[in-house]
Amino acid sequence: MDDYAIGVLTNVGLVSFVALSAYLLLLAGEMSFGQQAFFGVGAYAGGMLTAMAGLPLPLAALGAMALGAAAALLVALPTLRLKGLYFAMATLAAAEMMRILFELLHLQREIDGEPVGPDGTQGFRGIRWVLEHGIEPEGYLILVWGVLLAVLVIVLFLENSKLGATLRAVGADPELAASLGVSVERFKLGVAAAAGALAALGGVLYAHHNTYIEPRNFDIMLGVHSLAYALIGGLGTALGPLAGAALDVGLLEGTRLFGGARMIVFGGLVALLLVFRPRGLLDEKVVHWLRARFS
Amino acid sequence: MAKGTLLLTLLLLSFPALAQRVKAELACAFTGTDFVYDCAINLKRGANPLSGAQITLSADMPSMPMMHNVAPVKAKPGRNPGEYEARLDLEMTGEWAVKLRLAGPVRDVLVLNYVFDESGTRPVLRRSRTAPRK
Repeated sequence: MDDYAIGVLTNVGLVSFVALSAYLLLLAGEMSFGQQAFFGVGAYAGGMLTAMAGLPLPLAALGAMALGAAAALLVALPTLRLKGLYFAMATLAAAEMMRILFELLHLQREIDGEPVGPDGTQGFRGIRWVLEHGIEPEGYLILVWGVLLAVLVIVLFLENSKLGATLRAVGADPELAASLGVSVERFKLGVAAAAGALAALGGVLYAHHNTYIEPRNFDIMLGVHSLAYALIGGLGTALGPLAGAALDVGLLEGTRLFGGARMIVFGGLVALLLVFRPRGLLDEKVVHWLRARFS
Repeated sequence: MAKGTLLLTLLLLSFPALAQRVKAELACAFTGTDFVYDCAINLKRGANPLSGAQITLSADMPSMPMMHNVAPVKAKPGRNPGEYEARLDLEMTGEWAVKLRLAGPVRDVLVLNYVFDESGTRPVLRRSRTAPRK
């Protein structure tokens, strides 16, 4: 596999984490424009834990996921009282606040004669754990996709369990779910925390792939794309966000099918899908049809 | 015993050089074809030019991470020591984070932020929101 294919596939894998995170909230009936903030929390926390504290990547990932979940919970506690567009706007505002906090974060220490750590708007360089452990781009691609597939298996298993049915019930009709004894608010808080942890996991992997992160990486553009991937791919299965990311980053970008007009095509595709397939390509109907056909 | 002492002495003597990170500078000229730039890279370790490195260049837009996949290119050695040349085919003008993956005498990854436009490139200068703590 050449360097270009490795790069495209790694990016599809990485962006799928934040798309899956947006997907979980969409299933719970909430549209978040702020999942990039927890991706950023994961990237900064993971980078600091390996580059500054010297922790191994798996431990740093666990720490970053815990922090991502805590940050998501902190945002969800006041904002989940809001509905629809108001919730979407509140998550966007919270994500921008988080990004500005990254811009204010100066916490560096000298390692091998070089300052390492977040340096405000100048970014955070020197996240070298992967390089120092001799992991080549091919190896890192396998790592990213291995973790992503493990996450997908867990989410697909949960989707087919009672928990998944409850999640869809809460998203479809919260009043009805509450009348059946579901604590809707607590359930949504749990989903928000899980989505935050998932985005943070993607962030850790992104930071170690790139070796450099900066506050601008985590602005609205990433939030819009992750939400769009979940919506394009479909809300019928956890494979939907992956399909959305593969369609945009993999097909449109990877093949350079539309050259510089790719973003226009992508925007048009989102608009068309919202009109004709509001729950995406792999929506519940398609998933049921596929299951009936192949099971 | 003597071999061990010699090895330890050599390691200690070479430690400052090992500790010195590689620094890179980039200067690119617009070729006249949309978003294609001819770049000169200068590598230095301490005050000395670093020759013999294998460099793979790729690029990403900081404001749209993971959305643009510029095909990585390998740099060729330039005319002077520590100098390398490569042609970058970007997708648009604006700020790009150019990633240099180094192999050979040194293994490292350097990320350089530059603004690319029709006049060439210039390093990104960002205003800090606060003064860094001393």
